[in-house]
Amino acid sequence: MSLRRAAIRTKAVVGLAFAQLRRSPGRTALTVLAVTLAVLSVTLLAGLGVGVVQTGEDGLENANRDIWISSDPIDPSASGTENPIVGSHGVSADITEREDISSASPIAMHDVYLGTDEDDLVRTSAVGVHETHDGFDFEAGSGFETEINASDGEHLEHQRASEPTSEEIVLDPNTAERLDVSVGETVYLGTSRETARDHEFTVVGIAAYYSQYLGSDAEAVPLTDLQAVAGTTRTDRATFITASVDDGSDPAVVRDDLSAAYPTYDVRTSDEQVSAMFEERPLVLASGATLVGLAFVGGIVLTINLFALVAYQQRDELAALRAIGLSRWVLAGTIGVQGFVIGLLGGLAGLAATPLLARGLNLLVSSVVGFDSLLQTPLEVYGIGLALALVVGTVVALATGWRAGRYARLEHLEG
Amino acid sequence: MAACAIDPSELNAEPMSNHALEQVVSATGQASTGTEPTTAVRLETVTHEYGSSGGHTGGDRVVTALQNVSMAVQLGEIVGLAGPSGSGKSTILHTVSGLLVPTDGSVELLGTDLTTLSDRRRTRLRRQHIGIVFQRFHLLPSLSARANVALPLVQAGVPTATRRERAETLLERVGLADRTGHLPGELSGGERQRVAIARALVTDPDVIVADEPTGELDTATGADVLDLLTDIGRNRAVLVASHDDATLSVADRVVELRDGQVSTDGR
Repeated sequence: MSLRRAAIRTKAVVGLAFAQLRRSPGRTALTVLAVTLAVLSVTLLAGLGVGVVQTGEDGLENANRDIWISSDPIDPSASGTENPIVGSHGVSADITEREDISSASPIAMHDVYLGTDEDDLVRTSAVGVHETHDGFDFEAGSGFETEINASDGEHLEHQRASEPTSEEIVLDPNTAERLDVSVGETVYLGTSRETARDHEFTVVGIAAYYSQYLGSDAEAVPLTDLQAVAGTTRTDRATFITASVDDGSDPAVVRDDLSAAYPTYDVRTSDEQVSAMFEERPLVLASGATLVGLAFVGGIVLTINLFALVAYQQRDELAALRAIGLSRWVLAGTIGVQGFVIGLLGGLAGLAATPLLARGLNLLVSSVVGFDSLLQTPLEVYGIGLALALVVGTVVALATGWRAGRYARLEHLEG
Repeated sequence: MAACAIDPSELNAEPMSNHALEQVVSATGQASTGTEPTTAVRLETVTHEYGSSGGHTGGDRVVTALQNVSMAVQLGEIVGLAGPSGSGKSTILHTVSGLLVPTDGSVELLGTDLTTLSDRRRTRLRRQHIGIVFQRFHLLPSLSARANVALPLVQAGVPTATRRERAETLLERVGLADRTGHLPGELSGGERQRVAIARALVTDPDVIVADEPTGELDTATGADVLDLLTDIGRNRAVLVASHDDATLSVADRVVELRDGQVSTDGR
């Protein structure tokens, strides 16, 4: 019997809640919009936080290398001019000879000047690698493949020309657009404005592969060509040597062996490299964490404020209901159901708008700072957004309804 | 059960009034002794200060709303509460309704001291024994007249069909049979107050408290509402607070308040 009464009460509470929502469709729509904004603030800010961290990790994961050899400091965006590993082809060849290593190759990074007009050059980053691969995801054209393969021992100085030989370059899409060049055209390249006019490179492809983890526009150039342009052919400088371990070998064991063999270098597995990079960039981690934290706190505060207002706006009605004998549970339920309905509608609207806005913001971010897909919205982010709208919305609405029931006193009925 | 003009058999879905009160009394064991069976409401040396523990205005300033007020209302009696604004009329109605617990003194409703009960029990007693008529009606604008009248029955878990039936019967009784589906916004002031009176009666209460029931109405409409109130007040205890002499003229007795104290009790 009491169960039946509870069911009757629940049905009436739901009816009351819907009646209140229907009473002011404009206000209800605005409340739903506010929840939508709260959800969007959570999904987009959390998505940005996830993206900030993920972008760094993805760069290394995409490189698909198990071992990273470097010399501190580890900061690819800043160490481009440094290239602390000397004799990198020799080191790579020595490492490749190991049985547990399938391949190894150096990577160099330099700040370079680039342009179609030798008097109008732009500064950008160049990454020197031996070859491009399928992972580049070319927007146009294709990549390059240099003949000298460090893995086969062809690394001696006399085998490497002191002048660029391939003279091919893969441009970042933003750089290509800025210079208004397409595949087949030539550009000047040098490590200074003065030397740029001496070297012409043919654009063979357009891809943002290295830009995505350097965080700025980066062009891919054959390593030996970059060294020749930079004048480091003799010292054979590189920023990293990356290696892939043989199937069946444990990267951690290989790391220990290499670490013992090359005590002056830092040898890390790819996971450790990610950590090391973030240790060098506490700001990145702090930003990511702050964004996610802000997303939560901001969303919750917004939601609490919103439903406190919903209850406040109905204080006269609640006071009257209380006076005629309805319990605080019924009042809280009335506001709670409104919270659930508003949370559901606002939550779904927020989730529906998230991918659209994320795409728009990513386009904006990509065009302004060069990061592609900085804002990432995995399923968990959607889950958090909906949970905020539904759970926090309902709980806060119940709580504020309950509280409103307590304070729904006679002063509201007298005025 | 209050002997109102409504056939009690129409309202038999839930035990009401005295029967329910007995349940509460037996549960708490706090029924006072020696109370006259016909005494519906009794205030004994009631003092209430806003800004103290019983109040809610906060701050250091204490305002004495009632001071040593003692009075009683019998079943079948209409008592008027007169006095200027701030004299304590509304505070008395609120203490009688259990909406407010006074700082000191006792408030008995049909022999049960409300000041000793929990908020939950007071709410239950109020629902079962008190009907409230507000100056500004306080109907839910989103609900029809019928749904507004039926609202107090929601808490008791009365099924929808029964709620509707009771509400329609009462609306018919107050002369609004053709307005049951109207929203409050579609009704005149007098009609809204009639709906509020029907709502106050839906639980067949023993006590009706009315705070300036004609305050928002013109003279003719106010007179109609008063007729209705006195009609339904037979065999119930009715407490009417008002500034208006015409409203107070329907009372069997007028208690005059001044500065929170009873200045005259027109026995």
